[in-house]
Amino acid sequence: MHGVKRREWTQELVRQKRLRDVEKIVAYKTLTNDVLSAKKDGVFTHQKLDTTRKLLELNPEFNAVWNYRRDLISALKSELSLEFWNNELAFTMQQLKLFPKVYWIWNHRLWCLNHFPQSPIGKWQQELAIVSKLLTMDARNFHGWHYRRVVVGRLEQMLHTSLNQQELDFTTEKINANISNFSAWHQRANLLPKMFEKGQVSNEKSFVEHEFRYIINAMFTDAEDQSVWFYIKWFVKSDIVTKSLSPGEYASLLQDLKDNITLINEDELEFSGKENMWCLKILCVLEELQMKDVGRVETQQRKILDKLTKIDPLRQNRYLHLAQDSKENVD
Amino acid sequence: MENLKLNKEGHVSYIKSLDSKRQDYEYWLSEHLRLNGVYWGLTALCLLDAKDTFNKQEIIEFVRSCWDSKTGGFSAFPGHDAHIHTTLSGIQVLATYNALDEVLAGEMLKQCISFIKDNQLSDGSFQGDRFGEVDARFVYSALSALSILGALTPEVVDPAVAFIKLCYNFDGGFGLCPGAESHAAMSFTCIGALAIVGKLGELSADQIENIGWWLCERQVPEGGLNGRPSKQPDVCYSWWVLSSLAIIRKLDWISFEKLREFILKSQDPKSGGISDRPDNEVDVFHTIFGLAGLSLMGYDGLVEIDPVYCMPTSVTKTFKKYPY
Repeated sequence: MHGVKRREWTQELVRQKRLRDVEKIVAYKTLTNDVLSAKKDGVFTHQKLDTTRKLLELNPEFNAVWNYRRDLISALKSELSLEFWNNELAFTMQQLKLFPKVYWIWNHRLWCLNHFPQSPIGKWQQELAIVSKLLTMDARNFHGWHYRRVVVGRLEQMLHTSLNQQELDFTTEKINANISNFSAWHQRANLLPKMFEKGQVSNEKSFVEHEFRYIINAMFTDAEDQSVWFYIKWFVKSDIVTKSLSPGEYASLLQDLKDNITLINEDELEFSGKENMWCLKILCVLEELQMKDVGRVETQQRKILDKLTKIDPLRQNRYLHLAQDSKENVD
Repeated sequence: MENLKLNKEGHVSYIKSLDSKRQDYEYWLSEHLRLNGVYWGLTALCLLDAKDTFNKQEIIEFVRSCWDSKTGGFSAFPGHDAHIHTTLSGIQVLATYNALDEVLAGEMLKQCISFIKDNQLSDGSFQGDRFGEVDARFVYSALSALSILGALTPEVVDPAVAFIKLCYNFDGGFGLCPGAESHAAMSFTCIGALAIVGKLGELSADQIENIGWWLCERQVPEGGLNGRPSKQPDVCYSWWVLSSLAIIRKLDWISFEKLREFILKSQDPKSGGISDRPDNEVDVFHTIFGLAGLSLMGYDGLVEIDPVYCMPTSVTKTFKKYPY
């Protein structure tokens, strides 16, 4: 059970609940017995489509019943109208709205689309619009994001074209709506290397510079949230940056980033009396990069790690470990 | 810190009470999780050193009754369908009772191994059943089950490892399939699966550092662990995150004290059981993963758990180590 507040169950409350449950249990058990015995006997009739639906409305996690329902649909396929298939999609949508985290419903919906008569492109395009809407209502639902990637994959196959740019725009839209939507940052970090690899970026250097400004902006918008920092940590080491810039340009990008992070950190120190732990964590990464890639010898890493041990005590052993590592490197 | 104690007796009696709730509608609604629930309950009892609370013969008979002879795996409940996940639960329960030879032998064992192997797809991943859902959870379940049965082979292991490596993400986490967002439960399934088949060496030193970093950032100021950035803490991640850290030998990268406090605060002080977070309704899933987390942190009086198999080490030490 996730997120259900604990109640004080007095004897009276238990009594009342059990009284209410009696009928529900009888109805549920009757339906379950009916469905499971039909399933066992290999009964494939339209009537069972109704009873399985009723049961799944009561319990959307009953995977054996979803399985039986799919077998029913397959067996009756030649007799099922287009209307049936549309109703089936509507049914899964109704269930997803009530239970957005139930894997089995997402699976069944995907199965329906894959088995929809002729599986028309229009249906998949419509699906993309639907999942966009779902991700507006529940922007971090990882089922939704996973499902979206599957739908996009199918559409790309059918249309023989890449939807990377469109999907990148979608992540921008999501990030602009909420800077700490890590699901969108994740998707962005997956799309960009593909776009560079496939030559879908016309001017790589200016793209990287533009992306750099975008993340600086995000950093200033919310320096507390770890989403953008994880993205930055990837970005500064990624091939799309290192291969698009000359060594000199790369060195100045790192310095520029460092200056901006230092600025945010100083602001925060002035404002709250405390340094920003994520600024320090990423500064530590940048120090290391500058040391390795740019050949800078002097490093503030030890000093930063000392500070982190104090302001981020939950993870102090990691900082002690890093300090040990950097000591060994110097020695 | 307030004086928080582990409510051992409460947890034992809570787990014991689970099968006596037939007057509750929810009892019937959760049949599709029954075999998993038996595994969670039994493992929790083992950690509490109260294994005998369950009637061994009754449980073994229940597992036997979940056998789906059509497909050759275990289902969650008699009459339901076999699935890779419930098959693992059945095997785990039998192994815990040292009853594998008694129940799963001869033709049945062969059929079970084929069921698992036949669900492996050409990219090395596993589907949960014939309907094609692919998820790193099923790769873990399959490899763990085959390992307990001593039936791993390079033909199964090598492609599975290749698939798992593709689930690794830029941030140091793992997704449910290549391209999917990192999720702490997937860190456990992917790293645990690699550990089971002795292939942790497939991860580079850099990757291990990154994995450790991402995992330790799951701890939030309240002390609990979350599954993804900007999410609420939840007791079950005490297992998914901590077991992963234990496997890569970075268990101490989070604060034990704060996590212990969070788990202990999530107990029902009256009737036992552990919930996802303080003051919520308890369930057996969060009870086992809370206890397992505490056990990994060496909580006094809890039996030691194996971070790779999520079973008592006294049981897992008898498993044959791959490569055989």
